[in-house]
Amino acid sequence: MARIELRNVVKRYGSFTGVRRMDLDIADEEFLVLLGPSGCGKTTTMRMIAGLEEPSEGEVVIGGEVVNEVDARDRDVAMVFQGYALYPNMSIYENIRFPLRMRGIGKSDQDALIRRAAEMVELGDFLDRKPGALSGGQRQRAALARAVVRQPQVFLMDEPLSNLDAKLRSSMRVQIKHLQRQLRITTVYVTHDQIEAMTLADRIVIMEKGVIRQIGTPDEIYSDPADTFVAGFIGAPPMNLVEGKAENGRFTAPGLVAACPPDISGRITLGVRPEDCRVVTDGPAELAGAVYGVEPTGETTYLTLRTGETLFEVKAARDARFDLGAPVKICFDPERIYFFDTETGVRLRAQPQRSAA
Amino acid sequence: MAVLDQTGGVARAAPDRARPREKALRRRSSALRRAFPYLLVAPAVIYLLGITLYPGAYAIYQSFYLVRFTEWIPVGFDNYVELWSDSEFWQALLNTLIIGGIALALECVIAMALAFFAYRDALIRVWRIVFLMPMLFMPSAVAFVWKLAFNDGRVISDLLRKIGLIDGNLDFLGNVWLARSTLIVADLWQWTPFLFIIFVAALQSQDQEVEEAARLDGASWPAIFWNVSLPMIRPVIAVAVVLRGIDITTMFTNVFILTKGTPGGTTETISYFIYRQGFQTFNFGYASAAAVVMLVVTILAAQLVVKRAFRSGKA
Repeated sequence: MARIELRNVVKRYGSFTGVRRMDLDIADEEFLVLLGPSGCGKTTTMRMIAGLEEPSEGEVVIGGEVVNEVDARDRDVAMVFQGYALYPNMSIYENIRFPLRMRGIGKSDQDALIRRAAEMVELGDFLDRKPGALSGGQRQRAALARAVVRQPQVFLMDEPLSNLDAKLRSSMRVQIKHLQRQLRITTVYVTHDQIEAMTLADRIVIMEKGVIRQIGTPDEIYSDPADTFVAGFIGAPPMNLVEGKAENGRFTAPGLVAACPPDISGRITLGVRPEDCRVVTDGPAELAGAVYGVEPTGETTYLTLRTGETLFEVKAARDARFDLGAPVKICFDPERIYFFDTETGVRLRAQPQRSAA
Repeated sequence: MAVLDQTGGVARAAPDRARPREKALRRRSSALRRAFPYLLVAPAVIYLLGITLYPGAYAIYQSFYLVRFTEWIPVGFDNYVELWSDSEFWQALLNTLIIGGIALALECVIAMALAFFAYRDALIRVWRIVFLMPMLFMPSAVAFVWKLAFNDGRVISDLLRKIGLIDGNLDFLGNVWLARSTLIVADLWQWTPFLFIIFVAALQSQDQEVEEAARLDGASWPAIFWNVSLPMIRPVIAVAVVLRGIDITTMFTNVFILTKGTPGGTTETISYFIYRQGFQTFNFGYASAAAVVMLVVTILAAQLVVKRAFRSGKA
């Protein structure tokens, strides 16, 4: 149970900078997700918190104590790895016991702790098996049990679900979140899967190329993206981004005309989510295009339109069916149109002060 | 064979695309086609059979004869019976077990200790080359250097006296354990690197995540090594130890050059015993019988060790 701070942390590998100037404040008991494409520095950041990597500059603070010089084994941090990292020669019981044994917890107390941890992840019946005799999901639960058994100050999870199949992943997601709420341990979770990030996080940190692009709650990240990277990364299917020009309160691109705040002009990228679009048969509309593809998912239908050179995705009614090439008109939700500077990708806001996030 | 049939089938299915070479292949007699793969591996197989299976079978055959140069007298199991009651054979077996056992144990411990300190080191490439060097020298040349150091040149004796560990000279051939230790030291120097390199490779190729997990679980490096790394590389250790063990049981060069079995046959290994029976007393049938016994014993021992190591590594 601890607050984690990264102060001005930099990680360089030779001439390559993995993480540049990172400041991050993770509250006690918070579930924080580091989200980004591979190579964005999220795992490096986590490994610096764990003590498996040393920051080139800056300070890592856990529970008010600068831990740069503290060895990983003394940081009271538990980690769940992508490949489970169970000890193959030990039974599940021995695996869960290992951290207790290494920390000198009395034999008499061990058994109860181990059984409680195993119950928490529903592995009680598998304690005498070796990891090799368990399925992927069971192994990951065993790894979780090994992490929770000693009630660490901090939980670190490095893409713990990415080796599991989709169905198992969603049920494990719920378990992990439940476990974290129950134990109230500060958790840092690394993933490249935005669904995992959205569903698990109290706050999400979106990283790209070693830089934090945005920090916020899932709601903020979704409805108030700071730049085109965040806008395009979050949401499935992702936000439509169309490059065009803005002049006198009008944004224009091939096949698309939309109102925009009068103080925005120049080369602008418009962003609108598929779910904030509406197919209309007549009347005024922002976008006109031809049907390029129809993808019914059962729950809804995704419609891909072609306007000029760009493809544009729209969430249509569940029973919407269109012929390929048919002309379609689209209305946007005026509250949910975003404008970005095409050059820098930074979000442009309509507020009078026009401050970038 | 199956592969060849398959390509034939493909060629038949699309005759218009078959190139001239394939056509020629199809025209060849099916007997030749069937023999073709065997012809390809034949040279290697003949070579291997020639240098291993033939001499082996010949030794087994010979072990049932009393061989007096060109005269072969069949004696049945007499050679084996005689071995059973030959105190020199038993002495040689015991010597081999003592010298080989101590050398192997020390080599394992030293190599593992060195590997433990070296495998995470930034200079590991350098260490590997440095430690590899003794293995690159010709064993007989090294044996002569040891002979100079221990016996003829008394280098080691002088050095020990200089640093005040002993008074007077040490006669390394005059004492059973001194003579044995020269063989052990010589083997240690040259062959510890073999185990070191295998152990380092095994330690380096283990799953890094598992080590990191152990670190975060609060284990010190020695604890990780003992509880996690060693059990994980156990099969590799077993194989390396078996290889080295087989090698040590056949220890000959150093014995031949350094001690010749002295004092009183206490450093005579099985290999040297076989050599003496075969090439000094020209008792080839008897030597062959001893060699066959050693072969059987070695195979059984190796099987046992490897099987045990691999079985308990699983499930």
